[in-house]
Amino acid sequence: MINKDWVPYLQVAPLAILMVLFVAIPLAVLVTLSFWLSDGISLTPTFSFDNYKAVLTSFLTWKLLLATLKFAVLTWFFTLVIGFTCSYFLVFHVKNLKLQIALFLLCTIPFWTSNVIRMISWVPFLGKEGLFNSFLMMLGIIDRPLEFLLFSDFAVVLTYVHLFTLFMMVPIFNSMAKISPSVIEAAVDAGASPFMILKDIIIPLTRTGIALGSVFVVTLVMGDFFVIRVMGGGQSSNIAAAMKNNIDQLYYPDAAAMAVFLIIAVLVPIVVILRIVDVRAELAR
Amino acid sequence: MSAKGEIRIEKISKAFGSLLAVKDVDLSIPAGSYCCMLGPSGCGKTTLLRMIAGHETPTSGRILIGGEDVTDVPTGSRGTALMFQNYALFPHLSVLDNVAFSLKVQGQGTAQRRDQAMNMLKRVQLSHLAERVPAQLSGGQQQRVALARALVTNPQVLLLDEPLSALDEFLRLRMRSELKRLQTELGITFVHVTHTQPEAIALADQVIIMDHGVVEQSGHPREIYDQPHSPYVARFMGGQNVIFGTVGTKGKDGFAVTDEADNKYKLDSALALAKGQKVAFAVRRDGAKLASGKGRSDNAIKGEIRNIEYQGTFVKVALKTCQKDEFLVYLSDGEYFASPRKVGETVSAIWPIERNHYLEGENNSSGDPTGH
Amino acid sequence: MQSSSPKRKTSFYLLAGFFGLFILFLYGPMLSIFILSFQGVQGSMTFPLRDASTHWFGDLFTSTRYGDLGGAFRRSMIMAIAALALTAVICFFAGLAFRKRFWGSGPIFYLAIVSLVIPGLLLSFGIGQMFQLSGMPLHWMISGLGAHLSWTLPFGLLIMFAVLNRFDSSWEEAARDAGATPSQILRYVTLPILFPGLIAVALFGFTLSYDEFPRSLLTLGTRNTLPLEVANMTSSVTTPALYAIGTITTVISLVVIAVAFSAIAIVQRRRSKRMATS
Repeated sequence: MINKDWVPYLQVAPLAILMVLFVAIPLAVLVTLSFWLSDGISLTPTFSFDNYKAVLTSFLTWKLLLATLKFAVLTWFFTLVIGFTCSYFLVFHVKNLKLQIALFLLCTIPFWTSNVIRMISWVPFLGKEGLFNSFLMMLGIIDRPLEFLLFSDFAVVLTYVHLFTLFMMVPIFNSMAKISPSVIEAAVDAGASPFMILKDIIIPLTRTGIALGSVFVVTLVMGDFFVIRVMGGGQSSNIAAAMKNNIDQLYYPDAAAMAVFLIIAVLVPIVVILRIVDVRAELAR
Repeated sequence: MSAKGEIRIEKISKAFGSLLAVKDVDLSIPAGSYCCMLGPSGCGKTTLLRMIAGHETPTSGRILIGGEDVTDVPTGSRGTALMFQNYALFPHLSVLDNVAFSLKVQGQGTAQRRDQAMNMLKRVQLSHLAERVPAQLSGGQQQRVALARALVTNPQVLLLDEPLSALDEFLRLRMRSELKRLQTELGITFVHVTHTQPEAIALADQVIIMDHGVVEQSGHPREIYDQPHSPYVARFMGGQNVIFGTVGTKGKDGFAVTDEADNKYKLDSALALAKGQKVAFAVRRDGAKLASGKGRSDNAIKGEIRNIEYQGTFVKVALKTCQKDEFLVYLSDGEYFASPRKVGETVSAIWPIERNHYLEGENNSSGDPTGH
Repeated sequence: MQSSSPKRKTSFYLLAGFFGLFILFLYGPMLSIFILSFQGVQGSMTFPLRDASTHWFGDLFTSTRYGDLGGAFRRSMIMAIAALALTAVICFFAGLAFRKRFWGSGPIFYLAIVSLVIPGLLLSFGIGQMFQLSGMPLHWMISGLGAHLSWTLPFGLLIMFAVLNRFDSSWEEAARDAGATPSQILRYVTLPILFPGLIAVALFGFTLSYDEFPRSLLTLGTRNTLPLEVANMTSSVTTPALYAIGTITTVISLVVIAVAFSAIAIVQRRRSKRMATS
């Protein structure tokens, strides 16, 4: 008989091996690579800060960082408003539990389909001859198609919100569903207005969900390089897209330095969010 | 040669990290007896039970069942069956398949094991629910299924972990007598863990009372109730008042004992006590009478009435005295209503000298079942 | 107070309206490309729909303009099925292991979380470079599948945690008490009870791999999967064929979701149906 203490190690071994092989080592490779040098053709293993110097001293990098943060904040705001409102509706206004679960699943189904396709599906809506423009022209609100709808920052943020609201909504829904109805009833009995209940009870009790959702949305937006290229129509860019360009041009060490820069840029908001809300402590409740 | 269901526990200890849950316990439970392990939560009784069942391995010591050393024998082949506190019925199996489970893992055929399980269900009067799943049963029904599942293997020893705690008051009393009837019928050893004292007294041939991982006292319920070993046992079993005092001189009618408020008592002269020694002794609540507070008499305690509760067959009077605990007197209702009292009145409780029971053990815990 | 006050009613309708708009926002664009994929031969990429036909679906299969779509689809399917099986098995056992505290459990958990929140492109880049620098060729079934697992396993693990939250380990103890061996406990108790949750894990394994794009980008080697082919088509194809391929892959995803949901519903129905037979 196997010693019982070994069982968890055997059980977790495949996961641990794959995580080390396909997460830990690749990240270590990235960091190592960021100190190497390249002339565009061959790599020179060395220990040089030149790539970082180039990244950090370039005006472009900081402009891209600003753009990255702008998209993150805008998307975060809209996904939060939409995700919170929809969760609030489902949890507190749909009393029938089966209907509540059905509507919740309806919101989650798109998550299991292709992001690329969901992005493309905005094209017939937003284009110059798209549904939205035709509709507005039919109503006589505009007489020329709006140009800014597709291939613009607007299209990028719209697509982000479309793709990522779910990541905000699911954690918020989860923490909201845990709020005991008697807490709300007690507040109503105490004479609290709906706004006070929202501000003093529901929002504080959904902090964990909001924090987790924010982490997801911010990291997803900051890591995107594809939506911004296709929906931005070449006008917009961010750090990940710039890094992708470096990779395409085989400037691997430059790309690696940018990757490390991006990781730090992503870590900062995560740390800030987790500082504000102690997710671990609240999950353990 | 030992009888089949006899349990002997020799110098058993169990440590969880640095916490010693069970300390050097020696016990013997005769075959075919109903044994209750009693104590507050965290006293080690459940750990001891789980070691007998084989779900925990002792850090040191031996466990023998029917004379055979089972310390290293795996659960399921040591002739024991455990009934879990939350019943642990398999949610995905029907009641019948739950009961037949242990027969299935032994490799019995479907028809045969279902027959046998059905017979067991008839025995607990649940055959009409055989095809349901546990979630569709009431608490009492779930409990019987758990019982049937445990008994289907014909164990020599049935171990019950707080079997009645999840039931409401009415069901608890019914299931209690059913458990006792079943044990008498089957003639096997039952070891029943509980933290409620009336349950233990009503059921057990042998009560084992534990605290902080050690056995405080083990014996027939009457012995434990009437002659507690320590202040803790006296308080936990109830029915007793604990009094602390200092030993004075030895007279012909026993040792004189005085408490802080100069109440005077007498303890048996046969005891080995020294002058100046601090002692504790117990007085049964139903052994004392009330007298008006004027004057002093021997073997009496003065106090102010704090509370009077009519309990139907008796009246419970609580006195605030110089002692730490309230002094309780149970008077038959005839006796009480012959001379009713008022809250706030100062009275003396008085009792015969032979009612004093010296407590030799030192454990002075509060005896609160929740462990506080 | 149930909706007796008129104020509550208005807020209900406002919120319901908002929710309805959100659903429209989620599904509307998808619905429009379904419709437009049936565009006629002369039709454009936008409305209106002219002479509805299945021309563009046929075009996908017959034309050579779209590259190796069939091969890409086959590879996506094989990878998704492999990811489904591996995610379910690996996360099942890992989830069981994480019920106990063991040496290294913290770092493994945090590694999984890192893999969840790190931009996919970075990991894709790292995995690609790891293979190239160590002289191993990239292959979709090795480096590609590994990259997919870095995405499906953390999700599967979190779902297993949620599933195990409602799993009472005294069920396993009761089985052991009844004399079951470790493998019998696994087969007769642990696995059947956790099965519905395991279907959910498998669903994530399949769909996340089947639609995976950024982590595939630099790890597949010389062959592409379907999402990569489709992503390439977004810049090269300007006909409704793009919508046709979108419709096909979305329908496949929806079928898989439906199968998984029905499987869970059937298992749970069977568990409560027993009442009706008695």
